Amino acid sequence: MRETRLWSLHILVIPIIAVLLGMHLAIMHYAPVFYGMSVDKAREYATMLERGKSVAQLVIYMLLLVAGLYHGLYGLRGILRELPLTPTMVKVVDVGIILFGLFIFALGTYVTWWTFNAKLGG
Amino acid sequence: MTDMTTTPREITFRVRRYNPDVDIVPHWDEYRLHVHDGMTVLEALHQLKAEQTPTLAYRSSCRMGVCGSCGMFINDLPMLACQTQVLHLNTDIVTVAPLPNYPNVKDLVPNLEPLIQKHAAIKPFIIHTNSQEIDEPTGEFIQTPDERESISQFTHCIKCGLCLAACPTVATDPLFLGPQALAQAYRYSADNRDCGLKERLAAIDVFHGPYQCHMAGACSQACPKGVDPAFAIQLLKRTLVLDSIGFGKKKSSLAKVMPLADVVKQIEEFAPPPRTVGK
Repeated sequence: MRETRLWSLHILVIPIIAVLLGMHLAIMHYAPVFYGMSVDKAREYATMLERGKSVAQLVIYMLLLVAGLYHGLYGLRGILRELPLTPTMVKVVDVGIILFGLFIFALGTYVTWWTFNAKLGG
Repeated sequence: MTDMTTTPREITFRVRRYNPDVDIVPHWDEYRLHVHDGMTVLEALHQLKAEQTPTLAYRSSCRMGVCGSCGMFINDLPMLACQTQVLHLNTDIVTVAPLPNYPNVKDLVPNLEPLIQKHAAIKPFIIHTNSQEIDEPTGEFIQTPDERESISQFTHCIKCGLCLAACPTVATDPLFLGPQALAQAYRYSADNRDCGLKERLAAIDVFHGPYQCHMAGACSQACPKGVDPAFAIQLLKRTLVLDSIGFGKKKSSLAKVMPLADVVKQIEEFAPPPRTVGK
């Protein structure tokens, strides 16, 4: 793929991350302000499971996962590719980062989906 | 109070010497020279070579900041030796070394091969899709003053290589195309007579292309001709992004050809008045 498209996407996800991260902060860290709930209560296991059952929560965290992973791993690739690497090592870095990203995405998806379907009190 | 930038005095020149036939690593030699007002570093090197160290190797040609041959690392900054007055450096010790980020051939002579290779890779010439018009021209390609102005500063590049020597990204990533090549890639791609952006993509739309620029701006500060390569790189990014989403400038070759007949007509219009004396 053309580097321009990869870089453009890297820049485009910045506002998405800013909005979604703002939502995450509102839900988790500013719960007293937005939900009238103490921070400790907002972080409780039961509260998280309850919150995780909403479709909005599922969408917000899945999007944040994808956007954050892409932005972060593209940046990491940029740092690693600046090192004096052989062509083989360049391929290892590119493929390794894609595989690592897919693994974290699968793990994050599993946790989010599991939370969405979890039975309270079970 | 004495103006130190014009007072003639003895200056110590610390020159980095390296002869690959003899030296394993470079070393520094010191020379004392009486410097007068207006004397450039290049003139000082000429005098040192004539009077004190005939084996000193450095490049120079035009002595007026046009050819770009005498790029050197003077007091830890890349500069043209012919444009740098010794007393204006305002120091009693002047260090002179070859340009960094290039292999060293001998003494103050850098190997500019990386510059040339990167410059050639971006196809630094007008690329036209109308090959018939190129082979058998029927006219000239029009460029308005405004179109010329939009790329004007980037045409002033003299390929001295100072920008690559100043670039911190080139220092850590030798494969980075660098400010000179990227600025020229923009200069030609933005030229209204050029249709070659697609042909240049293979060289510039890569990891080591414009997106690797860390925007330090050192290239623009180093350029002796006032070119702003850092700005050109940002403009190149915009060009590439617009092109990648299908909003690039559409260039039609035929629309820009002014028939030769019209050119001749114009020349006649601006011809001198008829002779009235010596008929």
